[in-house]
Amino acid sequence: MGARDKVWEVFRQEAEGDPMVHGGSVRAPDVELATHYAREFYGRRQESERLWIVPRDAITELDDPDLLKPPFDRSFKRPGGFLLKHKLEAARERAGTDAVTRSEELGE
Amino acid sequence: MSDLEPRVRSALAELLLSMADDEFVLGFWDSEWTGIAPILEEDVAMSSVSQDEIGHAKALYEMLAALTDDNADRIAFGRPADAYRHAPLMNHPRTDWAFSVARRFLYENADAIRLEALARSSYTPLADLAVKMRREETYHLLHFDLWLRRLADGGPDARSRLIGAIDALWGDAQGVFAPLVGERDLLTAGILPESLDAMRLGWLARIAPLLEAAGLAVPSVSLPPTADARVRHTADFAWLHGEFTMVARSEAGAAW
Repeated sequence: MGARDKVWEVFRQEAEGDPMVHGGSVRAPDVELATHYAREFYGRRQESERLWIVPRDAITELDDPDLLKPPFDRSFKRPGGFLLKHKLEAARERAGTDAVTRSEELGE
Repeated sequence: MSDLEPRVRSALAELLLSMADDEFVLGFWDSEWTGIAPILEEDVAMSSVSQDEIGHAKALYEMLAALTDDNADRIAFGRPADAYRHAPLMNHPRTDWAFSVARRFLYENADAIRLEALARSSYTPLADLAVKMRREETYHLLHFDLWLRRLADGGPDARSRLIGAIDALWGDAQGVFAPLVGERDLLTAGILPESLDAMRLGWLARIAPLLEAAGLAVPSVSLPPTADARVRHTADFAWLHGEFTMVARSEAGAAW
């Protein structure tokens, strides 16, 4: 059996409407046994609403650092790159408003 | 419950005991695969399926205890070996993987037929429990049908072990449907919607196409079981009984 084993990635949904989340993997020679083992490992305690069982070799992996971690500062592409708080402070300074009082009024 | 005639009540007790002992003893035999099943995933699967059976046994022992004013733990662990009423199919040790798969395949299908019938029982607590058990047994049926096909198609060694096991177990598998003392009373009361031998024929009709689909021959002779089928036990069972009662016996009367 060993040589014919494949790895299957198992995704589970905890409650109806939740996103599918990666649970882990199982080894099995085919989809039928993989389904049974996924049930045993990720569903037998009634913890899953639904499982997805995906052969690992159907997954396209992207891990090229040139694509994922380019060597320049790209922090402006992250939403965190735009801190509204700092922009507000700068705008208030220009307008001559007390930044602390104003932000308290805004509940920040 | 109290409205049952004493004769019917004792026949019902015998039925519940036979089913509970089937599940209990098989659950213990197959839990021996924990740690040594063919692959890690199957180790978890077989252990979990065996726990399921012990859980079903617990539900049946509790129903029996309520009926006879007894205690489920005492019934499960407090009887001498010769007071168990499991089918002769459960008198054999786990042997090899093909043997355990063959036994499970034969038993799960027999149990499915029995539960299908009991879901129509006039004894409502039993009918309700049968419906619940059938939902969990769905997976057992799928799992052992799958393994039967795998071993049948798994090369000459696996195939010949499987065929040998089916032949060796065939007679004893009929014994799941051995006649019960008081069976006639159960039929009259509608507690058993059909006779055990009618269920046995239903079981044979059910497994023949499954065996054929796996390319396996149905053994040619299927003799009806004798009335003593559930009373005959073996040295192998006596050994298992010693194992599963060991902890309970170590401190008689202890509260766990």
